[in-house]
Amino acid sequence: MAQTLAVETHGLTKRYSTGVLAVNNLDLRVRAGEVYGFLGPNGAGKTTTLRLLSGLLHPTSGTAIVAGAAPGTPASLARLGAMVETPAFYPYLSGRDNLRVVARYGSVPTSRIDPVLKLVDLTDRARYKFKTYSTGMKQRLGVAAALLKAPDLLILDEPTSGLDPQGTIEMRALIKELKQGGRTVLLSSHLLNEVELTCDRVGVIAKGKLVAEGTVDELRARSGGSALLIRATPLDQARRLLEALLKPDQVRVESGALLVSVDPSQAASINRRLVSDGVDVSELRVSEQSLEDVFLELTETPQSPHPNPPPQAGEGNGRPAGGGK
Amino acid sequence: MIASFRAENLKTRKRWANWILIGILLAWILLLTYLTLFLVVTLSPKSIQGPVPASVLKRRLFPENFVPTVLGASASIGAAIMLIFGALSTASEFGWLTVQTILIQKPTRATVLGGKLLALAAATLLVSVLMFAAAAVASYAAVTLDGSSSAWPSGEVMLQAFGALLLQLAVWTAFGAFLGIAFRSAAAAIGGGLTYLFVGEALLGSLLRNTPVVKEVLKFLPGINGGAINGAFPVTIRDTAASTQLVSAGRGVVTLLVYLVVFTVFSLLIFQRRDVGGS
Repeated sequence: MAQTLAVETHGLTKRYSTGVLAVNNLDLRVRAGEVYGFLGPNGAGKTTTLRLLSGLLHPTSGTAIVAGAAPGTPASLARLGAMVETPAFYPYLSGRDNLRVVARYGSVPTSRIDPVLKLVDLTDRARYKFKTYSTGMKQRLGVAAALLKAPDLLILDEPTSGLDPQGTIEMRALIKELKQGGRTVLLSSHLLNEVELTCDRVGVIAKGKLVAEGTVDELRARSGGSALLIRATPLDQARRLLEALLKPDQVRVESGALLVSVDPSQAASINRRLVSDGVDVSELRVSEQSLEDVFLELTETPQSPHPNPPPQAGEGNGRPAGGGK
Repeated sequence: MIASFRAENLKTRKRWANWILIGILLAWILLLTYLTLFLVVTLSPKSIQGPVPASVLKRRLFPENFVPTVLGASASIGAAIMLIFGALSTASEFGWLTVQTILIQKPTRATVLGGKLLALAAATLLVSVLMFAAAAVASYAAVTLDGSSSAWPSGEVMLQAFGALLLQLAVWTAFGAFLGIAFRSAAAAIGGGLTYLFVGEALLGSLLRNTPVVKEVLKFLPGINGGAINGAFPVTIRDTAASTQLVSAGRGVVTLLVYLVVFTVFSLLIFQRRDVGGS
């Protein structure tokens, strides 16, 4: 059954006047009602794509349909709420006055201002000038402005950028809340952990091209799926045993532990074999391949020769090497 | 367009920098143009006599010369202030990146800029009224304090003078707004605009005024044309150093109207076509 698309691009390309090819023949399909994670390293073309979808940039070639109309047209913008790159507001105006300005441009009744301020938890600070806001408050005001029109499609560019851990958790909760009522959310990020926790589907962009698309599980499966992490003593004996039992390329040592690429259902038999051969097993668990591994593989970023064992979902900052905005 | 105009009005009204600019303009007129000259000619010792007697010089501040005095201020400090005002209005949007916040809302780019230009026009009207009122109050105060009598210009002359003031201030505001959009930087727009105003027009215009080639070029410049309009109004004390006008007042009006249209159209064209963000 054909699904309604909130965003659809065909061969979307943007080459800047400097010659930089920021977006290269991009075919993107975001289904209505989903939270779509747009993932890529810094400089991959995420923000340029979002600017193209918002009508801020003119494409060099290709087409796009955003919320049922061409980007940047009043028909598209009327159903679109967006925060692209950084929340940009007038520093000399209060948070509330900034929303009044945005509401006037969008012909939105000012009665919408209080509910969105409440939603992003800024009611108490609404009378303060924007220039006095913390990074987290600025991000939340940006989301509030994007929500003023009660849009069908919400585009958020790195919404947790610069937030402290508490702010990040709150923003993720807010994004999940925003999905209620059938709203589509297109979320760009270079934080893998964030995408993993909030998105239904993920598109990975590298050097301006979409290199993979699917659910997080689909992307993991595509890159080898899960493995067993085993901490055993003596380690060399355990490795030789497992290499003899399996294939040598299925076993590797990472940070003092063995990472064995097998179906997790073989965990019990492997444990029995190790113990019966006099190996002490102190830890044996399924190690899901993290989205970070998938991401690095897809974006062709060279891996460290001795990476740490992949963190479990919810652990670590999920930031790729060299990341940071 | 009305929605954009209302949004722009809110921003313009609440921006302190705008009120400071207006304050500087009014202070200049009241303090430098009127009060300083009044005190100098009133309090200077009788032993110090210039080529023009103080009693005659003082009449420059009286209602009979109200129109040339206020138009003279519009050509110098008025032009500079309105150029800065226009440049700040557009360039700041790029500096703060608020231009992208605006353009993600519903209106088209043409509507957004149309609203901004309308708001600038309304602000220019307000500044013109304030300049006129401040100069009128100062003229009245000067003649009253002096105990002299002086007739106000006729209603028709006042109306024409107000139109001339509004047109000149509008052209400089539009020029500033155009520079702000073209440079996308307040510093570059203001610096470039003021350099043109004070070096390009004022300095070169006076130093090379009689050079044949330069003279022909000067005839097309907004400041020279504004000066021609101002020079057409009657004044009881003509500055002996004042140079003759290069163009007629009628041509001056037409030239300034053309500039107003050109700056507006060019601003629209650039704003409409240019990418926002990225490199």
